[in-house]
Amino acid sequence: MRGRPSLYTDYNKESAIFSNNTQKIWFTLLVLLSVGFVFVGSDYWILLLTTALLISIAAWGLNIVSGFAGQISLAHGVFVGIGTYTSAVLGGISTSYVIGYELDMIIWLPVSGLVAALIGLLIAPLSVRLKGLNLGLVTLALVFIGSHLFSNFKSVTGGAGLGRKAARLVLFGFDFENGLNIGSIVLEKNHLTYLLSLFICVLAGLGVKNLTRARAGRAYSAIRDKDIAAEAIGINLYRYKSSAFALSSFYAGIAGSLLFSVSGGVEPGTFNLLYSVTFIAIVIIGGGGTVLGPLFGALFFSLMPGGIQALLHQFDLVGSSLALSMGQIERIIFGLFIILFLIFEPRGLWGIWFRLRNYFKAWPFSY
Amino acid sequence: MTIFLQATAEGLALGAVYSLVAIGFVLIYKSMDVLSFAQPALAVVGAAIISSLAVDRGVPFWLAFILGILLTGLLSLILERTFLRPMVGEPVFSVAILTIGIDILLRTVLDNWIGLNPRYLGDPFPNFGNFGSTNIGGVVLKYLEISAFFTAVIVIILLSIFFRKSKYGVAMRATSFDQEAALAQGIDVGKIFGLVWFIAGMLASLAGFFITGGFNTLTQFSFISALRALPAVVIGGLDSIPGAVVGSLIIGLTQGYVAYFQTNIETLVGFSLGSGFSLVAPYLIMFVILLRKPDGLFGTEEVERV
Repeated sequence: MRGRPSLYTDYNKESAIFSNNTQKIWFTLLVLLSVGFVFVGSDYWILLLTTALLISIAAWGLNIVSGFAGQISLAHGVFVGIGTYTSAVLGGISTSYVIGYELDMIIWLPVSGLVAALIGLLIAPLSVRLKGLNLGLVTLALVFIGSHLFSNFKSVTGGAGLGRKAARLVLFGFDFENGLNIGSIVLEKNHLTYLLSLFICVLAGLGVKNLTRARAGRAYSAIRDKDIAAEAIGINLYRYKSSAFALSSFYAGIAGSLLFSVSGGVEPGTFNLLYSVTFIAIVIIGGGGTVLGPLFGALFFSLMPGGIQALLHQFDLVGSSLALSMGQIERIIFGLFIILFLIFEPRGLWGIWFRLRNYFKAWPFSY
Repeated sequence: MTIFLQATAEGLALGAVYSLVAIGFVLIYKSMDVLSFAQPALAVVGAAIISSLAVDRGVPFWLAFILGILLTGLLSLILERTFLRPMVGEPVFSVAILTIGIDILLRTVLDNWIGLNPRYLGDPFPNFGNFGSTNIGGVVLKYLEISAFFTAVIVIILLSIFFRKSKYGVAMRATSFDQEAALAQGIDVGKIFGLVWFIAGMLASLAGFFITGGFNTLTQFSFISALRALPAVVIGGLDSIPGAVVGSLIIGLTQGYVAYFQTNIETLVGFSLGSGFSLVAPYLIMFVILLRKPDGLFGTEEVERV
């Protein structure tokens, strides 16, 4: 970093997506490295990273409505579910008990986002009528109503305990199952889904960053800080709260449509209360109201199983009889992290990153 | 008519059980502005302790029962001291999420212990018992339901006496009215918080016994039943104890009636509501009531300053 990186000579420069060249270089490097990971990563880690990228898209969605606009939503998992089932119906294979139209991804991917956004718009008026905790509680009701609907629309979801296959990954007539050969490079299905997720994730991330510097993003922050005051300075609460919900659901829908196509199948019981809480926890652990936070949180949440596995291997604990199963250890660590981050670092992983960055920026001076 | 009475009786018993959890919610919310999502988990903790002592270890039921309630209260007190105390003065929602974290912790450990098979809680009167039932004019009443109803009534009466007459009860009311003013009057607010959580924990575990006792059994999904006290609290208003009781009865009765009359309702509205609709109906009711009255039926309206 040379010159005077914090000196901005005009407003456009200050609010640019990348405020200086260093950031541009790091961003390009990071994307290139992520693409390169396809060639070195094992299947296991590629799968984990793919999920992490997709979950971060959903987490960004929640971050828009809760982190930026300050409207609490406990029902984010339901919107992910709506995206999943829209894509499953449009892009899945129909069987004797579920419907499916086997459409192309270019159709079902945007449509599942849009359907989720539409339902988000229907929910949005609630947030104008209710505030704070009460809004959270109403969205809690939505979780239960949503999972009830999911488990009862058998022709769409396959019914509780059975589930159905998710959408097929066919883009412009090209089936991901077949793999892709470019010269001597062979890209299998998981590599392709990883690259696709990375692409959408980068787009989504840039979208969020762009939102923070747009009129809507500023309006959201004003509403979060004090909605009455925001209304007094001429922000249309109804419009912006609705758009926040719609946008957030759109992200959730996109994430949901891909999330289960990667693993293959989906069971309606997945979208329970814990699933929705997971997203809140990811945003909190990552750092709410920031652009990078949800990404950190999603990476942490999705890579944790791999990390724990690696640790267990390290200490030769895999075969030995632990009192708790892997999933339970994960949940305990997850629960503990929610608590610890809320008490000690409410800004989440982003806050830690922020302090680290500032420490090294000023190094060797303390400030 | 018999079916109607049966549904009413079961609904009232359910409502009574919910009201125990609901009062815990309200006590905590009133005194410290915390909505504790850990309450259902605490109910299950109580049931689990009773079950492990009375069934697995062969401790006499009543001893296990009392120990279960006291230990849950104690656990709740410890939780307050370790996790909630550093959060005093933080935004309401952060603290609510923190209690979700506590809930995840408790439930993970519990699920591991409960396992896949349902667990029983033991029987206080082996030859009379909470597994039995009586028939009054065609209405079948389980002893467990009858005792749940009367226990709830007694507990509510005891609590209201406690709040009116005892030193700590008055101190608790003062604290929930205004923390700083209470501090200025020499009330140890910290001690009151602890006491509130202790009482709420005991109430939750008592409800936990009635939710999982008899043939209901303790499973990994028992907490969902306890969680249904939440719509009850919301309907009544988060800061009103009478509201919590009324809300619980509304929820309990709704659940009872929907369970028995679902087919009738379905023919009325013309489409299938799906299996297990009675378990979702409370949330629908809460949804509708919150839209009409954002602060619940008995809650005090929030005054906002800019």
